[in-house]
Order: sequence, then C-alpha cells, then structure tokens
Amino acid sequence: MTEILPFISNIRWQDVFDITLNSYILFRLYILFRRTNVFRVLIGIALLWFIQRIAVFLGLIVTSWALQGITAVAALIIIVVFRNEIRSVLQARNLKAILWGFSDKTVDTPVEIIVESVYELARTRTGALVVFRGKEDLADVLQGGIPWHGLVSKEMMTSIFWHDNPVHDGAAIIEGNQVTEVGVILPLSRRDDLPSYYGTRHRAAAGLAEATDALVIVVSEERGNVVLARGSDMRVISRKEELAEILREHIGVTAEEWTYLRRGKLEIGMAAIVSILFITAVWFSFTRGLDALVTLEIPIEYMNRDPEMEILDTSVNAVHLDLSGSGALIKSIRPAQVQVRLDLNKAAPGHNTFTIADENVALPPGVFLKRVQPSVVEVTVDVPTKKKLPVQVDWVGRLAEHLILTEVKLSPKNVWVLGGKRILKNVSTIYTEEVSLDNIRTTGTLNVNLMFDLASVKIAPDSTDRIKVEYVAEERLQ
Amino acid sequence: MVQAAMCEDIKEFTPENQAVVFSITIGRIFCFTSFDPVPEETFIYHNWFRRDKLSKRIKLSLQPPRWSTFSSFQLREADQGPWRVEITDKDGRILRLFRFSITD
Repeated sequence: MTEILPFISNIRWQDVFDITLNSYILFRLYILFRRTNVFRVLIGIALLWFIQRIAVFLGLIVTSWALQGITAVAALIIIVVFRNEIRSVLQARNLKAILWGFSDKTVDTPVEIIVESVYELARTRTGALVVFRGKEDLADVLQGGIPWHGLVSKEMMTSIFWHDNPVHDGAAIIEGNQVTEVGVILPLSRRDDLPSYYGTRHRAAAGLAEATDALVIVVSEERGNVVLARGSDMRVISRKEELAEILREHIGVTAEEWTYLRRGKLEIGMAAIVSILFITAVWFSFTRGLDALVTLEIPIEYMNRDPEMEILDTSVNAVHLDLSGSGALIKSIRPAQVQVRLDLNKAAPGHNTFTIADENVALPPGVFLKRVQPSVVEVTVDVPTKKKLPVQVDWVGRLAEHLILTEVKLSPKNVWVLGGKRILKNVSTIYTEEVSLDNIRTTGTLNVNLMFDLASVKIAPDSTDRIKVEYVAEERLQ
Repeated sequence: MVQAAMCEDIKEFTPENQAVVFSITIGRIFCFTSFDPVPEETFIYHNWFRRDKLSKRIKLSLQPPRWSTFSSFQLREADQGPWRVEITDKDGRILRLFRFSITD
C-alpha cells in the first residue's frame, strides 16, 4: 500500500490520456476488422511477437532472431496481401462509422422480400444468381460487376434478372438491405460430381461457395426451382420458410435476435476491457519496466536573451544528464530528443547564476531526469561595446644587474577591443604576453602578442594583437 | 609640472636611475614630481595601480613658489607585475602617467 500511493500520485494526466487514446484506437481497430481475415492474421502476428519475447527472455538466439524477422516481414505482408480487405473496411464506412459505429452488419436485411422475390423469379422461370457475403472478402474471387447500390425490393430483383436486362446473366451481390453490385462473374466450380443438368449458373454458384464462406442462391431457368449453395453443399430449397431461416442464420439475424444483440454487446464490452488492459500493460512495460540508466551530454540552449545583450561567457556549454526509464525507452533515446534550455529573460548584465531544474530539461515521455552535472551554470551577459585601450608590456624575469631599461616605445600604443560594457568599464589597460628580460643585453626590438585575461574580451577586427616593442637598455652608472 | 620620473632613488631632489623596469632587489622605488611655479598652496595625488587595481593613493601637498615632492613604494615579492602611476591634480585630472614593471 505504501508503494502504490506514491506510484499513483506519479501518474500524470498525459499518461491517462495516452492510455485512453491508444486503448480506443486498439478497440476501434478490433471493431472495424473483427470478422475479417486481417484480424485473424493480426492475432497471429501478435502471437509471434509474444513468442519472440519469450525466446529472447529464455536466450534462444536463433529462434528469437528468426521470429523477429518473420514478425517484421509479416507486418509488411499483411498490408500488401490484405489491401483489398482493408480498403473495403475503410471505404465502406464514413468517418463517423470508423470512429464511433459499432455494427458491421445491417440487421434489417429484408429476408422476406428476398425470399418472395426469389420464389417469384422461380415461378416465372427467370434465371437468377444472388450472393450473400459471409465473413470473408470476395474482392479477389469476383470479376466484373457493375455498382448498383439499390434498395432491395421485389420489383428491383425481377428487373435485374429480366431476360432483356444486359446484366441479367451475372450475379447480384446483396449486402444489408442493398443490392450493391450486379452482373458479377463468379468463379466456376471444377467439380465433376455435380448433376449433369446443372448449367453455368449452378457451376458459378458452386464455385463461389467452395472458395469462400458466401451463400449463393440460384434460380433455375429450366426447372424453376431454388438451389442454395453453401460450402460444398448444393441443395434444392422448396419451402420459403426454410430459405428464410437459412438466410437469417447466414446474415446473423436469428429468431433469438435479442440474445444475439446481447452477445454482441458483451463482446464489445470485453473488447473494450481487453484493449484498456493491453495498452495499460504496454504502458507499464515502457514506463515502469526494468529501470535503466543512461548519461547523455546535452548542449545548453540559451533562450529569450535581451536582443541588446550578448552572451559573453558561460561556465559550461553542455551538461551531463543522468536519465532513467524502461530499458526499451532508454535504448531508443537519442540526444536530439533531449533539450536543456535556460531562460535568459531575467538575466542582468554581468554574471548570472542559473540552477538547472526539471523544468529546464525536455525529455521524451516515460524518461525521467535523475541528475544534472553540473547543475549550476554561470552565464555572463552584457551589452557589447568597443573600447580603445593603451598597451603595456608585461616584463618578467631579471634584467642583467649592470643594465637599466630606460625607455619603451610600443607600436601601436593603443588597440581597440570588443567586450561587454560592464566588463570593459573596469578595464583601462591591455597587457602583452609575458616578455622575458633574461636575454636582454642591449637596446633592441621585439614583437609580442597581446594577452586577453578575460575570455569575453577580444581584439576588434580593425585592430591588431601583434605589438612591436622598441626598448632602450643603458649601462647602470652606479 | 616641470619634471616627473619613476626612479630607483632620489638624491638632493634629483631622481636617480630612471627606468621602466624595477627589480624587487632594489627594495624601494620612487615617483618624483617637481612643479614650478606653484601659485598657491595645493595638493596632488600619486595613484599607484597594480594591473588595473588601485594599490595605493598618496596625497602630496605643493607649496608656493615652487615645490618638488615624491611618493615611494616598498617592493615585495608579491608586487611583481605591470604597474602604473597616475599623477593627478586635486580635481582628479591626470597630469602624467607612468607605466613600468616590477620584476624578479
């Protein structure tokens, strides 16, 4: 209990939103793809991934390597192989249905109208071929077809299969309460056990039923009967009630419709719970998994500097950050994802001391800051200015005892330097590098460099830091 | 001001061994100034700076009709480096500036 409370208090609103959003996305993917082959393959890939993780845990090098490759390739293949199915799922629905809708079947398919229409066609000996999709996608096995999208009615059905109608020879596809396509060419069955009096229409029905889980109704032009093809089964249905019952069962509306709906709601509820649990588990594995540490050297970004001021000096240009998080996150973290920013908005001219706190460090979600080294940064800001300074030689060492250095002439005598106004205010001389007296024996000339003790002060571009020193050495009189 | 000098010694109001480099072995250095005429009693300052930091400020009075005066500095090991002495009037106007070094 003592461990749970601080843990719960550490959960941010972003974490709750993160879990909720991804749970909903997962849930929606389930709702959209639940009765398709894509979903079954996705489950297979997830299972492969899970086994691969177990193989990694057990140290099965080749197995985990092979499974990792298969999983990666399978994820790509699924998009290529099932592109039609994915497209049909996404295209068949508007945005609202994709984001919110729950029903993937139209429960109000007018079974009675269809049955009546079929038997009316049989009575008038009008050949017909009607297809009802199952769970599988038919795009790969069907050919031709003309989009129709008309509401099912007895008159429309009669009209589609009327002898003089150009599309009467093909099949009509019924989805929900609509005839979605007409004139569709079905694959022919190659079975040799079909009755010899079965013509092309019957063979087409058998072909589609064998290849998919679709249900096909054939109305025989010659015999005026109704044949139902499902799987490898083909049989004559003479009673309307029987056909209606089979159709209801296939479409999903049984006599016990209420039970069906209740089961559907239960399934959706379970899917929602599983989605939340799964995403929460993933979130935990990312954020609260094995604690890993990494140290990154990150350059400091100085923000909101007064445009009139310049950064003249900083104690450090980069800091070392000790970061912690789950192994997966820490392994994938890149320095570009981490930023250290210091706000110079309140920086005053001169030296400023900043302590790097959590709010100065931007980290990817799930990664936590353990330590900053160094945590204190000195920043010198000032208004840049130019100042003319006299030059003085910095003599060192010892002049021979019999000599006196009586005069020194410098060229140039003065130089221009750049630096912060505040710093240069207290600087009145610029010195040369140390010049040794040890080797001076007579009057002479030297060329020396200027020495800048303050890192923030530098020679102006139009000035020189090379100084000519002419000195006069005289013999000491006493 | 008729004369000013940095020197190793002053004898009979005359600077001896004027130089721009002084060894700490000589023990003491002097800044000599001479004014002629001096219309009225006044004073001057000798400001001794090591690098840009004021090390010593000496107020010296001047008496009519002419006056010579000096300030001195006892040299120690820690005093090595570049120095300057600013000679100013009582209002702080620089009358003369000497740059020199104290070495081994």
